Amino acid sequence: MLGKLDLSAIPLSQPIPLITSFVVILIAVAVLILITAKGWWPYLWHEWITSVDHKRIGVMYCLLGVVMLIRGFADAIMMRTHQALAIDAPGYLPPEHYDQVFTAHGTIMILFGAMPLVLGFMNFLVPLQLGVRDVAFPTFNSVGFWLTASGALLVNVSLFVGEFARTGWLPYPPLSETTYTPGVGVDYYLWAVQISGVGTLITGINIVTTVLKMRCPGMSFLRMPVFCWTALASCMLIVATFPILSATLAMLTLDRYLGWHYFTNTAGGNPMMFVNLVWAWGHPEVYILVLPAFGIFSEIFSTFSGKPLFGYRSMVAATLFICIVSMMVWLHHFFTMGAGPAVNTFFGISSSIIAVGTGVKIYNWIFTMYGGRVRFEVPMLWSMGFIFTFIIGGLTGVLLAIPPADFVTHNSMFLVAHFHNVIIGGVVFGIFAGLEFWFPKAFGFRLHEGWGKVAFWFAFIGFWVTFTPLYVLGLLGMTRRLQHINIEAWRPWLYISVIGVGILILGVISQVMQLVVSIRDRETLRDVTGDPWDGRSLEWATPSPPPFFNFAVMPNVEGEEAYWGIKLRAVETQQLSPEPKYEPIHMPVNSPVGFFTAFFTTVFGFAMVWYIWWLASVALVAAFVGFVVFAWRDIHEFEVPIEQVASVDRARRAAREALLEKLTRQEVLP
Amino acid sequence: MSNLESDPHLYTGVLDDREDHAPGDAPEESAGHWVRNANIGLGFSIVLTVASFLLAGSNAIYAPAIPVALIVLAIAQMGVHLVFFLHITTGPDNTNNILALAFGTLVVFLIVVGSIWIMANLSDNMMPTGQLMQMQR
Ligand code: HEM
Ligand SMILES: [Cu+2]
Repeated sequence: MLGKLDLSAIPLSQPIPLITSFVVILIAVAVLILITAKGWWPYLWHEWITSVDHKRIGVMYCLLGVVMLIRGFADAIMMRTHQALAIDAPGYLPPEHYDQVFTAHGTIMILFGAMPLVLGFMNFLVPLQLGVRDVAFPTFNSVGFWLTASGALLVNVSLFVGEFARTGWLPYPPLSETTYTPGVGVDYYLWAVQISGVGTLITGINIVTTVLKMRCPGMSFLRMPVFCWTALASCMLIVATFPILSATLAMLTLDRYLGWHYFTNTAGGNPMMFVNLVWAWGHPEVYILVLPAFGIFSEIFSTFSGKPLFGYRSMVAATLFICIVSMMVWLHHFFTMGAGPAVNTFFGISSSIIAVGTGVKIYNWIFTMYGGRVRFEVPMLWSMGFIFTFIIGGLTGVLLAIPPADFVTHNSMFLVAHFHNVIIGGVVFGIFAGLEFWFPKAFGFRLHEGWGKVAFWFAFIGFWVTFTPLYVLGLLGMTRRLQHINIEAWRPWLYISVIGVGILILGVISQVMQLVVSIRDRETLRDVTGDPWDGRSLEWATPSPPPFFNFAVMPNVEGEEAYWGIKLRAVETQQLSPEPKYEPIHMPVNSPVGFFTAFFTTVFGFAMVWYIWWLASVALVAAFVGFVVFAWRDIHEFEVPIEQVASVDRARRAAREALLEKLTRQEVLP
Repeated sequence: MSNLESDPHLYTGVLDDREDHAPGDAPEESAGHWVRNANIGLGFSIVLTVASFLLAGSNAIYAPAIPVALIVLAIAQMGVHLVFFLHITTGPDNTNNILALAFGTLVVFLIVVGSIWIMANLSDNMMPTGQLMQMQR
């Protein structure tokens, strides 16, 4: 009846997961009670859970990402402190638990922390920047988000019921085959990643279609903001490579569930094929994450330097170059697996060449600042911290891409330091810069500047104090993922790293404080104009937060930096453009199908993990029925009456009048 | 997901069928044309499928040439699908489709050729297990 599931699945003998589970469940129950008591359910259901508004979905993606980043950070704190305590001592995490922690950390940070945040930014921004009212497939979009949430939920369930994989974030066979890992850990990994992978693919398709087919009049490709280009490139990579991940994991699933032999050492299987395929996805994946971050930085550098982006076209070219070349370098993750010199040399060189594209971008950002009126606001601090940090990370990457050097550093702490250097310095800094920058657009008030600066400095310094010692440790010969340490010379470096983690914790606390203080002071931080940073792209033409239909009339774009052009014209002529003729707007109706499907895929995944076949079948059928019912509905959209459109837009125009007056008075514009 | 539910934006300009259109904004294609197109495609693909099954079992042509013939039929089958079902044509509204096809082909080429090259190289450098045992002795 319940497959493999019984009471022994609850980790009663392990205090850490048990207490954590208990606290998490307690918090969840408290939140549910609060929502019920306050009667917030109808609001949540109608405005968020069933919403097909790309902005709402974007915000929910970011929320999911932030929560999971915190979970992943908790894992990181455990690993760093454990290693510091495990030098010639047992430490406090037994091996089987330590292994789950590093696997969960990697999986969560990349797939359930960084990915949702990056996808959230793309969802929120792409339609606004392109001057359209929604993404190409709004309901599909909601399905994509909820599937990602479903995967995240499964990972967290593994904490209380059963265990998580102990294989590392990419479950290499033969270790991940049933012979060596009979438990449910790898199965949790497989179903969680598989389900969320489908969600990611859906969003990828959606954004590609949106960029290719839904631009406002005049928004030709070479007038799109760079963020839209990077979103396009990133989603092209998603569409191209996530199917590889799905197929590879499906093959491993068949090996595990049906005793097949794709990746076993027996019966003609080949474990090396898994490594090859998974990195054919894995390397593009890191660029899926970092390209949109490059887009965010591009927007920020030009806004806060008060200049158009230097070398816009070279930026676009570099983005597309990286997009293609990133699919030609994957072997650099397994130089040591035994390919010959020809193969290793080819991939070594192609990996170094990719740095050229990134180099072009870095020069462009620096030249954007050069001669500009640079404002050192919080998003700009993150961006400048990024340039410094990312250059070092890129350089160590190029070093690792030299095969003979990689034979020494592969799988060492040096490697760990490299990828944190690029991922934290690039992706995470980009995310924080972007949250700071677009928060007023999403919620209507700015974040508190002082706490933002404090958070940046803690994060920046904390990052370097944590990870510089790891470079040293790598060169001293320490390999990654060690549960026990018996070399005295490593001790000081491990201690310094823990101090770094302490500083990072202060950074996280400052971020939370920033949010709390900003919510408390929201009236004074209110953004009434819709254009708090003197922005340049179309999202700043909308009020903050934008109405659900984004634009009352489709903007008409006449050059690069669409909104900047409109603003200049208004200042020159001392008036806004004449009031347009409003028309009713058609918007898609909300749909619970995403939530419904994801609910049943979660049940399905859980049932598959525990071999509860009847439940898995029921859940799969239910998820499918949801789709069929959805496909049969007759009403797809509703009409927003002219009066509503007009009144929203008149309010916006009134705010713009005030802004125009202020701008002319201050002569902010040249 | 159909594009029925997907079109929140109202295109106010004139629909010119020589331009690239947003989903839902494209000029209507007549249903009759669509059905006829799909049927022709279905016909072609049935013919090609049946032909390959017949060919595999027959001795109508020189036996070693059969695999080549099957490959040719398979490629023709792909062409039929692209043209009749996926509507890849040389028409003006098709730049995106062609580019997407080119991109897809490139990706498949890179991954397949790359993997074959890598895996062949790995097995060349891998000593047969028996020989390895010999050396260790
Ligand atoms: C300048 C371009 C870069 C080069 C030449 C480069 C090179 C490398 C090489 C050779 C390795 C494998 C080392 C080993 O396993 O021994 C590696 C690992 C890694 N890199 Fe990079 N890298 C670059 C940029 C990036 C970026 C931008 C990211 C992410 C945003 C990134 C994320 C990673 C990750 C996550 C790993 C380790 C994965 C694992 O083994 O678990 N790299 N890099
Ligand atoms: Cu890589």
